[in-house]
Amino acid sequence: MDAFLTSRIISDVLEGLTNGVIYGLVALSLVLIWRSTGILNFAQGAMPMFATYIGMVVFAHKLNFWFLAAIAIVAGFAVGGITERVLVRHLYGKPELNPIVVMVGFLIVLEGVAAAIWSTTPRGLPSPFSPIDWHLGGQPFALSPFAVYEIVTALIVMTLVACLFRFTKLGLQLRASAIAPEVSRLLGVRVGRMLTLGWILATGVGTIVAVLVSSNFFTGLTPQVMDGIFAFGFIAAAVGGLDSPVGAIVAGVSMGIILQFVGDFLNSNAIIVTALIILIISLMIRPNGLFAKSTARRV
Amino acid sequence: MKNINTRRLASVGAAFALCAALVAAGSSLASAGATKTPGLTSKQITIGATVPLTGIASSGYNEVAKAANAVFNYVNKKGGINGRKIKYILKDDCYGTPGFGCTGTPSTVTQTHALLSVPVFATVGSLGTPTQDSVRSLLKQNGVPQLFVNSGSRDWNNPTTYPGLYGWQTSYNEEGKIFAKYINATYSGANVCFLGQGDDFGTDGLAGLVGGGLTPLDTQLYSVGALVVSQGASLAPYVARFQSEKCTVVVLDTIPGATDAALGAALKLGYTPHWVISSVGSDPSTVYAPFASLGFDPEVGAVSFSFLPVPGSTSPWIPWMRKVLTADKAQFPTFTSATTLDGNMEYGIGWGVAFVEALKAAGKTFTRASFLKTLDSTTFSQTPSLTPLRYTTQDHQGLNGGFLTSVTSATAVAPITGKIYTTDSTPSGPVVSAKKTSSGIPSWLK
Amino acid sequence: MRRLTDKRLALTATCLIVGVIIIALSATTVRVGAVLALMLVVGIAGISTVTTKRLRKAHPVLTRAAVTLLVLDASLFATYFFSSITNFNLAIGAAMSIVLLGLSFLTGASGQISLGNSAFMGVGALAVAIWANHHASTPIFVTLIIAIASGAVVGLLLGLPATRLRGPYLAGMTLAFAVAFPSIVNSFSSWTGGDAGLQLPTAVSAPRWLSSIFGSHASLLTLNTVWITDITIVVTGVAFFFMANLFASRTGRAMRLVRDNDVAAELAGVSLPRARVIAFMVSSGYAALGGALWTLINNSVSPPTYSLALSITILSLVVIGGIGTLPGALIGGVIYAYSTNVISWFTAHTGINSQGNLASQLPGIIFGGLLIVTMLFAPMGIVGAARRLWAKRRLRTVA
Repeated sequence: MDAFLTSRIISDVLEGLTNGVIYGLVALSLVLIWRSTGILNFAQGAMPMFATYIGMVVFAHKLNFWFLAAIAIVAGFAVGGITERVLVRHLYGKPELNPIVVMVGFLIVLEGVAAAIWSTTPRGLPSPFSPIDWHLGGQPFALSPFAVYEIVTALIVMTLVACLFRFTKLGLQLRASAIAPEVSRLLGVRVGRMLTLGWILATGVGTIVAVLVSSNFFTGLTPQVMDGIFAFGFIAAAVGGLDSPVGAIVAGVSMGIILQFVGDFLNSNAIIVTALIILIISLMIRPNGLFAKSTARRV
Repeated sequence: MKNINTRRLASVGAAFALCAALVAAGSSLASAGATKTPGLTSKQITIGATVPLTGIASSGYNEVAKAANAVFNYVNKKGGINGRKIKYILKDDCYGTPGFGCTGTPSTVTQTHALLSVPVFATVGSLGTPTQDSVRSLLKQNGVPQLFVNSGSRDWNNPTTYPGLYGWQTSYNEEGKIFAKYINATYSGANVCFLGQGDDFGTDGLAGLVGGGLTPLDTQLYSVGALVVSQGASLAPYVARFQSEKCTVVVLDTIPGATDAALGAALKLGYTPHWVISSVGSDPSTVYAPFASLGFDPEVGAVSFSFLPVPGSTSPWIPWMRKVLTADKAQFPTFTSATTLDGNMEYGIGWGVAFVEALKAAGKTFTRASFLKTLDSTTFSQTPSLTPLRYTTQDHQGLNGGFLTSVTSATAVAPITGKIYTTDSTPSGPVVSAKKTSSGIPSWLK
Repeated sequence: MRRLTDKRLALTATCLIVGVIIIALSATTVRVGAVLALMLVVGIAGISTVTTKRLRKAHPVLTRAAVTLLVLDASLFATYFFSSITNFNLAIGAAMSIVLLGLSFLTGASGQISLGNSAFMGVGALAVAIWANHHASTPIFVTLIIAIASGAVVGLLLGLPATRLRGPYLAGMTLAFAVAFPSIVNSFSSWTGGDAGLQLPTAVSAPRWLSSIFGSHASLLTLNTVWITDITIVVTGVAFFFMANLFASRTGRAMRLVRDNDVAAELAGVSLPRARVIAFMVSSGYAALGGALWTLINNSVSPPTYSLALSITILSLVVIGGIGTLPGALIGGVIYAYSTNVISWFTAHTGINSQGNLASQLPGIIFGGLLIVTMLFAPMGIVGAARRLWAKRRLRTVA
């Protein structure tokens, strides 16, 4: 196989992996919220965006990346927790349409308020690692320090979340509150608190994504920065199954790689169309997602 | 039986009265018609435009019409033209694209209808290629001139089908021809690649390159829609292709957002071609913004094109522009001598002055038809642009040339080659170069 | 009873006399008089049918037809004296209400969530433009049928995989479709014109007999706008009439059963996938009709208009108006046509800088806020809340 094609394939895999872990993290945060509270959070991109702006504002003068990221994540926890307490509380047990509409409305409000306060001009956030690709013998090698940092961060977050759920008492309580809230209450679990905690965690994960994405100097931070990523993350979550964290990550990473190939070998229009086709096919095979635990009733 | 009849009668009366009353009221209102020229009185001329004041395309572009309006306000303060003041109505069409951040009505057709019901004498300085294409027949059908469309497409140069339609700026096609001449002279033999927008902007620019004698090795077109969804990542594969094809010159017919995406992708790949960027997407301060955190500007050294004086030049128009903008406290409250005079403001003032001069040349009394005749027969040589503005009955494109610039820093460009290039609006007409001259300001406008 | 008919008789006589005087003053030609007489007959039939309780109960379809004709009657007269920009906005709003009705039916009657209706609108809009550019002389009515059919076909394509999907997954699939639609349009840009869109080769223009009603001094703009607005209003009326009957029919009842309890529906012999797909096709056909009308009104189609943002707007208007209600769709259409005016009025009168950041984001913030508030406190929308208030009042007066 000729050298150019090989290097192109390798580039696409690496590039796709970098994008894919981002989609996987977004999908994971959606799954976290779905599994802990049964709500589909359409504002899962906008809430972290807002938290990132808060981080940026607090450190406007210093603009040291790590402090900024830390503040943003804490703000993310706060935004998630407050949203659950104030808004989402009223949505439990309601018909499926209600939470979707409310969260869509919340998304619109968040983006509007962010743009009203900070305008839609892109803000460059400092980047802790260089985004310029390394070169191997004169040929660019589709991996930059920034890309590696993205992948490593994503893997760490995924592992942490997995450990939290599998190996800690808190994780057990979170899972119990979602599956059997009444029984958990009887056993002394503060169910309400667990629900809030689910949102706090999920928004924290989302904020890590938002910070990663905004410090990519191509795009910078704008109120709409998470829109496209949310769309792909949502599709990945649906493909993998809204109740499967593993499914979310696998679907996210796979989609990232597949779509990168599509964008390179076909054209940019084909990217989102391919995502749609992948989604339709997976849902036709398994209507609750490919990795779903429950199977849909056959009709 | 009797009950039904009475009830029926009651219904008759009610319906009758309602309908008749409405018709009576209506016939008096609906028959109001106009016999004089709409939008024109002896004291005032009312013109309008649909522009992106808010929404996706608004940053930068929302200043253009306001700058022109600053010229109109300046002239009104001096008593108007031939005793007539100019009233300029702006309708926000968000570039025809709905989305968050749009306060206006994201439909150019709706906003144009709103202007027509004012009524306006003409639309002057409406912005956008697809937006203005969509209202050409509406305006023609109603006999309303569509003047100085803010776009470099060749669509405005169609006097046989749309006699009331006029462009203003140098077209993308003409810009492409001038680029071709420069690239052939400066980088002869090099591999040249082209990245353009997938509409008139890109295709006209490419046709200009080819017509001017330069056929790129590889041409790629991007769509604005895909750009919005994937935030620029959609352009990276194209740039990577150019790098693998060893293109040492890359021509960009891109809007600033896409310019940024291309420059960023190249930076990431360690790819450093000579960039040649259309005037539409090369404004340094706009393009530099996302790279600010990097501390250096990948656009420095890029070649671009302009037909208006560079802010640092000695043209007398520059201080005049600053005077006009500073005087307009309503629209530009924070404009001082230290504020950067950017490309968008210059653009608006450029055609604002052209309109005001056309109005003067039209005389004290005129109609829509005679105004268009004035446009077709007058050469406007004293406007801010460095080439004269001339229309004929066969050519409604507008300016036909400009000069080449090089981006020197994150905020400035400087002219190169010292020459002004003019060409015609035929696909492969020759490019003529002349020494740079600057025009003076007419005394009544000073 | 006697007194009631006497009062009505007196009222009728007065109206009759007043009406005759007004007509005598304003009817300029025989044609105008003939049109008035026709309107009159329609009005009579309408009101008498509506006010006769027995007829209402025995022939519901006829009653619905009468109500439709009555509303059309009044609207068509209104267009006669509105300015052209008002008529234009009215037409846009009416076409939007057709789209809203389709989604209202899908969500309210059959319980499926769709975020993809902007794409179906786009299908209809493009169908009209592409067809007109290749066959310029097709009558409008036929073009609209083609658009509806295109929308229904695409709805079928999407509805088939959607039959087994539940809430979030269906939302996800329709969302992906809405996001992918602009890219699909761009892939076929030689047919669709890509981002720039297409123009209709000839504008929809008013026929000769209409201008004779208005007299020779009405401008071309006024005439053409009135004509297209009237066409849109008539089509809207037909669409609402059809939907009202569908709601009440066996198919509509079957769909509501599927929404509420699909096990029971299966037991009752309703084919679940069939009911769901039909609902999907109806909703997409309606959306396509709305989009087609937009193309005729605007004389052009601009694909970037049919984006996810529009889909969200459509869903929001359905919710605010009232899911599953006919008046809700109408209210939503009116809100759509006039919301920017209201908000500019608001910013103008509260001293907010109209060029500043806050003013430009205000529509979005208000809209999103309205969505949240409506869904939390009045999930049945304006119409639902009004009906509840009315029911409460009736209970109070009875008790």
